[in-house]
This record gives sequence, C-alpha cells and structure tokens, in this order.
Amino acid sequence: MDDPDNPLLQVSGIHKSFPMPMSILARVRGRERAAVKALRGVTFSVRRGETLGIVGESGCGKSTLARALVRLLTIDDGRIIFDGDDVLSLKGADLRQYNRRVQLVFQDPFSSLNPRMTVGQTLREALAVHNICAPSSIPQRIADLLVLVGLPRDAADRFPFEFSGGQRQRIGIARALSVEPECLIADEIVSALDVSIQAQIINLLMDLQARLKLTLIFVSHDLRVVRYVSHRVAVMYLGKIVEIGETENLFRQPIHPYTSALLAAAPDLDPAKKSTVDAVQGELPSALNVPMGCSFHPRCPKAVDLCRTHAPAEIQTAEGHNAACHLPNTYP
Amino acid sequence: MSRGGLFTVGRSRRPVTATLILGSIILLAFLVIGLVPGFFAPYDPIEFNYDTLLSPPSAEHPFGTDNYGRDIFSRVVWGTRVDLQIALSGTVIPIVLGTIVGAIVGYVGGWAEFFFGRIVDIVVAFPFLVLVIAIIAVLGPGLFNMYIAVSVVGWVAYARLMRSEVQIQKEMDYAAAGRGMGYGAPRIIFRHLLPNAITPVVIYWMTDMALVILLGSSLGYLGLGAQPPTPEWGVLIANGKNFMATAWWISTFPGIAIIVVGVGFSLVGDGIADLIRPSG
Amino acid sequence: MNTITSPDTLLEVRDLRVRFATANGSAAAVDGASFDIRRREVLGIVGESGSGKSVTLRSILRLSAIGGEVSGSVIWAGRDLMSLSEREMRTIRGREISMIFQEPMTALNPVLTVGEQIRDNLEEHTTLNAEQRRQRAVELLELVGIADPDKRIHDYPHEFSGGMRQRVMIAIALASSPKLLLADEPTTALDVTIQDQVLKLILRLRDELDMGVILVTHDLGVVAQTCDRVVVMYAGRVVESGPVVDVFARPQHAYTLGLLNSVPLAHKSKKTLQPIPGTPPDIGDRPPGCPFAPRCSFATDECDSQPPMKQVSEDHRAACWHHEKVAEGSRAA
Repeated sequence: MDDPDNPLLQVSGIHKSFPMPMSILARVRGRERAAVKALRGVTFSVRRGETLGIVGESGCGKSTLARALVRLLTIDDGRIIFDGDDVLSLKGADLRQYNRRVQLVFQDPFSSLNPRMTVGQTLREALAVHNICAPSSIPQRIADLLVLVGLPRDAADRFPFEFSGGQRQRIGIARALSVEPECLIADEIVSALDVSIQAQIINLLMDLQARLKLTLIFVSHDLRVVRYVSHRVAVMYLGKIVEIGETENLFRQPIHPYTSALLAAAPDLDPAKKSTVDAVQGELPSALNVPMGCSFHPRCPKAVDLCRTHAPAEIQTAEGHNAACHLPNTYP
Repeated sequence: MSRGGLFTVGRSRRPVTATLILGSIILLAFLVIGLVPGFFAPYDPIEFNYDTLLSPPSAEHPFGTDNYGRDIFSRVVWGTRVDLQIALSGTVIPIVLGTIVGAIVGYVGGWAEFFFGRIVDIVVAFPFLVLVIAIIAVLGPGLFNMYIAVSVVGWVAYARLMRSEVQIQKEMDYAAAGRGMGYGAPRIIFRHLLPNAITPVVIYWMTDMALVILLGSSLGYLGLGAQPPTPEWGVLIANGKNFMATAWWISTFPGIAIIVVGVGFSLVGDGIADLIRPSG
Repeated sequence: MNTITSPDTLLEVRDLRVRFATANGSAAAVDGASFDIRRREVLGIVGESGSGKSVTLRSILRLSAIGGEVSGSVIWAGRDLMSLSEREMRTIRGREISMIFQEPMTALNPVLTVGEQIRDNLEEHTTLNAEQRRQRAVELLELVGIADPDKRIHDYPHEFSGGMRQRVMIAIALASSPKLLLADEPTTALDVTIQDQVLKLILRLRDELDMGVILVTHDLGVVAQTCDRVVVMYAGRVVESGPVVDVFARPQHAYTLGLLNSVPLAHKSKKTLQPIPGTPPDIGDRPPGCPFAPRCSFATDECDSQPPMKQVSEDHRAACWHHEKVAEGSRAA
C-alpha cells in the first residue's frame, strides 16, 4: 500500500447544500433561504489499494459525497486531490481521464443501465469512448469482462430487463471495470439485493479488488457488510464525518457516542445477545434543520452544554482513530 | 448482435395486439392506394362527363358522380395520395425540429428552458387553427404554404413532449452513469436519453398525422389548402356542400375516407404504444 | 403431519396454498405452508424474494392480491378463517388480528389525520362513544411513544417522520386490543437506529398487551434479536422451523445453513463468505422435489422427491433428506 503521507485520494472541507425553492413572500421578508445541508465539511483520505467504508443513515450525506467525488454534482466548497491533481479544476479531456480512473457503481441495478442498449452495446460504448483498446479487440474484451464478473457469455446480446437484480449489478460492475479504473466507489451496491446474492457480489468485489489492485470506497448503511470489506471506516452523521479509524478498532472501541449507538442498534446475529433498551433516543433530524453545536447533541446520552453551543473540531487527519466529539469514549 | 434503439421487441414477450394489426391493415391499404391510384381508380378524376351529372352510387360509379360528372370513387382514390402526403409533410418538420429542440432544452435547462418557455407561451396563446390561417393569409393559399404554416406552429407540441420526457430520463441513474463515464452531452442526449424519451413523441405523431389530415381538409374546405382541381378530401367535401340534400354522396364518401384513415392512425398509435414501451 | 398444538396456541396454519394466474398458467406463490404461533410469542417468517413470506402473512387475513386462489386452513379461536364469510372476516381484521405494513406512507391515508384514522378503527370495532374514542386515541399514541399525543392526534401522516409513522401504524393496529399482530417487513424501510426503536417497541407491546406477533423479514439479525421462534421459507415452502436459538446454532436445512453463511458475521473471524450459488427460482419455474436442490451442495438423487418435514428435536423441524449432514456442517463452521 501507499505511503500514508501520499494518499491516492485526499478530500478536504467539502461543503454542499441544496437550496429549497423559496416563495416571493419569504424572500421579501428577508428570510434566509432554507437549504438541505448535505455535506458540512468532509475531510478524509484514502490510500492506494485500501478499502474505505463510509457508513451512515439517511441524510448523512454519503451518497451525495459519492457523487461529488466523481463530479456528478458541483460542490460549494472544498478540495479533492486525486494522485496529485486538483480534481475540481479538471476540464475536457483531463476530466474524462479522471472519470476513467475513478468509477462509480450505482445502487439501483434497475435504473442504472440504459434499458434500450444491450449489455454488449453498453460495454462497447465505454471501451470506445475511452479508447481502451483497438476496435478489433473490443469483442474479446467484452467477453473477458463478462467472465470476470461471472456473467454468461451470451449476456452481451441481451437487454437489462432479461437479467435478475444480482446479475444487473454485475453488469454495472463490468461497465465500471471496462475502463480500467484505479478507484471504485460503490454506492450501496448490495442494499437492494437478497442476502444470498449480496454475498456473491461482496465476494466478487473483494476478489476483483485483490486481482486488479483497486482502491475501493464502499458506501453503505449496513454495518456488518462494511466491517467485512473495509480496512478503515468513516462514520457520517448529518453531513460530517464523526469518527474515522481502522475497522476493528472502530468497531470494538468506538469513540463517538453515535458510533456506539449505531453499533448497538444494528441487530446482532447471535440470538443470545438480546437487549431491551433502545440504542438511541429520538428521531433522525432532517438535513434542513441541522442542530446547533454538535449535530448529534439532541440524541446524545452524554450531551452537556458545551455540545449544544460549540461544534467539536472537525477531524483533520485520517491517521489513527479520530472522532469529532467533546466527550469521546475512552478505553483503558 | 441485435439493434437496440426503439424496437426492443425481439425478446420481450409482448404480443402484437389486434389493435396494431387492424390499424396497420387500414393504413397499409391506404398507402397502397396512395402509391398507385391509377390502378384502383376506374376513371380520370378530373375529367368532366356531362352525361352522368349527379348520379347516385351505382355499379359503374360506386360512389356516384358530382355536378361535373366526375366519378367520386376515383376522386377519393386520387385524393388518398394527396392526404397522405399532407399527413407526412405536415408532421415531418415538426417532429424532427421538435425532437431536437426539446431534447436539448430538456437536458440543458437554464436559459434555454426560459426562452423555450416564452416561445411556448406565445404559440399557445393563439388557437392553432387561427395561427395557421393567419400565416397562410400572409403567404397565400396552397398546399406548400400550408405545410410551412403547420410546421411553424406545430413543432412546439413535439418539443414540449420531448422536453418533459428528457427531463425525466436525465434524472435516471443510467444518465448519471454516462456522465460518470465521462461521456459528453451530445452523446448522452442523443444516444442515451433520446431513444428512451421518444416513445410518447412517436405516439403523438400518429395522432398528429390524423389531425393534420383533418386540418388539411378543413383548410381545403375553406379554400386555403389544396387548390382545385387537386382532389383533396376536404376540397371534395366542400364541393358537395351545396348538394347535401340532393346528392349526399359527394361529401359523404370523402368524409368516410377521412374517418377511416384517422381511425387507422389512432389504432396504430395505440398498438405502437404497447409495443415500444420498454420492458422491466 | 405431526403437530404439537399446545394449549397456548393462538393460530394454526395448515397446508396453506396460494396460486396466482400468470402469463404461463397458474403458479403457486405459497405451496403448502404449515406453522403455529403461540401466545406471547414472536414468530419470525424469514426468506428472500419469491419465498412467499408476505403472501403467506396476508393470506392469514385473506388479504392476498386479487386473483389468487387460496386453500388450506387457518384456525383461530376454534374457527377456520378460510371458511368465514367476508363480513365475518371484517370482525376479525383490525380487531382480533391486526396487520402493519412496510411502507407507512402508503398504508396510512394521507388525507386523514392520525387521530381520525385511529378513531375509524375504534368506531368500527368498539362501542366507545366519541369522547372515549378520542381519549383512547391519545392513550394509544402515548403507548407507542409519540410525544405530545393530545396535540399530535390532529396531525397528518406527512407531518411525521418515517419511524413515527410506523409507530402511528402500530397505534392504529392496536386500537382494539388485538391478540395477534401481523407485521410485514415493518422496519425494512427504516434506518438502523429507528428500526431498533420500533422493534423494541413491538417487543414491549407484546409484553404489556399479552399479544402474539408474526414478523415477516428478510433480515436474519432482526430475527435473532426479536423472534422467539422462526419459520424459514424458500420458494413457497416452509423448509425449517423451530426456536431461533436452535435454528441459528444448528440449522437442519441446507438453505438455512446457506443463509447463515451468507451474512458477514461480525463476531467470528473474517472467514470468506460462502454465498449460495445461483438465484432463487421464479414463481412459475420451480423444480419438482426439493425446491432448493439445484443450488444445494448436499443434494443427491433423493432430492428429486419432495422431502417430508422431519421432527429433528422437540420443537425443531426441517424438510431435508440430509439434515444430519447439514447439522454437522454448521458445527464444523
């Protein structure tokens, strides 16, 4: 793996808000425009060859972050550095090159494939636009890709509707891999699949990562899966990373109260370990109305006055195990 | 490798419906008649024959004759070609122009959307027929000017349809995937969004063709469309308007032809709607 | 079929079959399901897509989609629900047996306030007067943990968050104090922390109100944490049933074992996931004999004929010719 001082991807201070439409009356009254604050200062880095898991519930901003990383949406503030390049300033051919090197695989295997193109046409287009190989080698390359993701050879002539959810997800992965990316961002790619199919896709992904030496950013709400595939994990809440660290450290000794709550809430597979106490009180606040101070304070069992007024310092480094909290959990 | 595009019919288990078959038979029949009217028309449509003025339908003249002795059946047959031409010529520019403009506006949004919206407002403020007549009044009567007038006004409806559909399709994940792949806007618009968005446009085109025939016939009736002696069905109906009580057949049979063709387009439109809806 | 019907049994489902007409003829969504639920017990029905678990649940209250033919028997309080008239069924639904669904936004009427929807149930099934009904509505909202209940009975569903709406749905379902609650994937659409709250609420209510609960889910963790006994379904059939602790520790059907091996286990070391190869069969496409055989690593020729439900231990049953080998397989893992 890379030297930690020279990560493959470095993201700092990402902010993104989606403004809500405002009535003229409200504008005249000088009200501040309501906005969904999807990302409120996200900083992290990823080393070459590692898998970073990003985990969180609805409204935490993880999908927005995934799309921002491949420039599917514009961010309001922040920097993204990939292999030394400033991603946000890329244009034209350079941007296309970046899109080649960093690929996003989507959650919904049904809507992320063009229903009117065969699998072969979808893959051919990707290969052709990026000049991956000579036009005469394209059919062979397509055949190789299908084998790589475990699809039957005749899949190239078929349309997405002829495949099951798990198979469509494989097609999506094949498309992403066709351009030989260095980094794959998987946005909830197994959430819509049955448990047994999930396991197939997870195994496929890990196998591909090892073989193709991919860097993987794995976004999911499923803690068990994230723990299984990731080297490091970042926990997001309401647009910020609240804790980040090596997987086992984070899961065994969580520092942030939200991480503890999340871990307690996720149902354990061992029927002997039952608990009757709610893992965390209160509702998930909406990103329209982010609480002042530490965004978790309304639900935090340890909250004190400081938490209500002052946001804890943002996590600045990706090294070690960090949490943005005034009263982090400590372990002897 | 099979072609994708519009007709992903091949492996979807969707049956070709009776609607589509019936509509296609009707249109095909008219198409054939329109291509070789000479084969079907027993008489010259514009030749006068003073011996058989205003004779009712009979064995020699299945649709009767008009006040110049012209055989109505032959005139209706020759009129088929004219009216089918009207259907096509009156819609080809609107659909092509409307599709392209609508797709671009739908994708780009912003200022394009703003200008397009204003154009739509202007066109929609006037009744369609009034606008067309006004343009013809400036250009003069005749089929060619009618095509111009219809095209200038008619493309807007197609563009609106296309714009809405594209706006929907561009939010789909496969469009985002295309952008994530680094594909440029032209490729995304025309290769990805357009084939998925065009279904309602094609269906609208079918009904529009029927409507354009009606329009052509209305204008022909008013003397603003096809000019005599061109046997256009609307003109034929107009010719018979003074004889409705005494020689009903002069106006009636061209009228029936219009109805049957309209039904044919309608049925085909419905049938195609079922067929090219993407599965899954 | 051997059944143990204890005096505490609330509901007995015997040989339930539900067939639907499809493009290729009639197909069985549920192909012979039998199980019991006892008082104060949470029974989980777990399975993947196409297993028939939701259809089974809905068939108990005869709510299967239109066009389905249902056969078998569902014995409740000494009566077979399958033989009741629609009018008689309406006295059961919402009053003796209630159901909650996965998507609270579509299961709740968006144009009625929450209070009105609770009172609808009370009007239909009780003889309380208007003031009593209002009071009971407030009580119910409080019971399910909604703050300021007397204000919130005037709110509309869209004014509640997802978790809250699910609680409201539970309140409506419990309005007439049913003895059995049917829950069809009630937390699948909810976030983890909210799911945790709602499941624990259901457990508390089960205790306080002395109810039975049948919980349909695809999530094995939910089964482990919430259910006392579990029924595992595959391709429309019950393949295994028994106490959760037993079934998870020593599964006796290859599918159950496969499911457990497909989930990344947090507390075991990172052994490779062993997914089940292939995909579940389509509804019209099931092989004769054991439906799982095509994907099963234990399958032999015997499996071409349908295995009977074997009693493996006192309360634990599995329909597998090779259940002993499967049990050993799980022990070795």
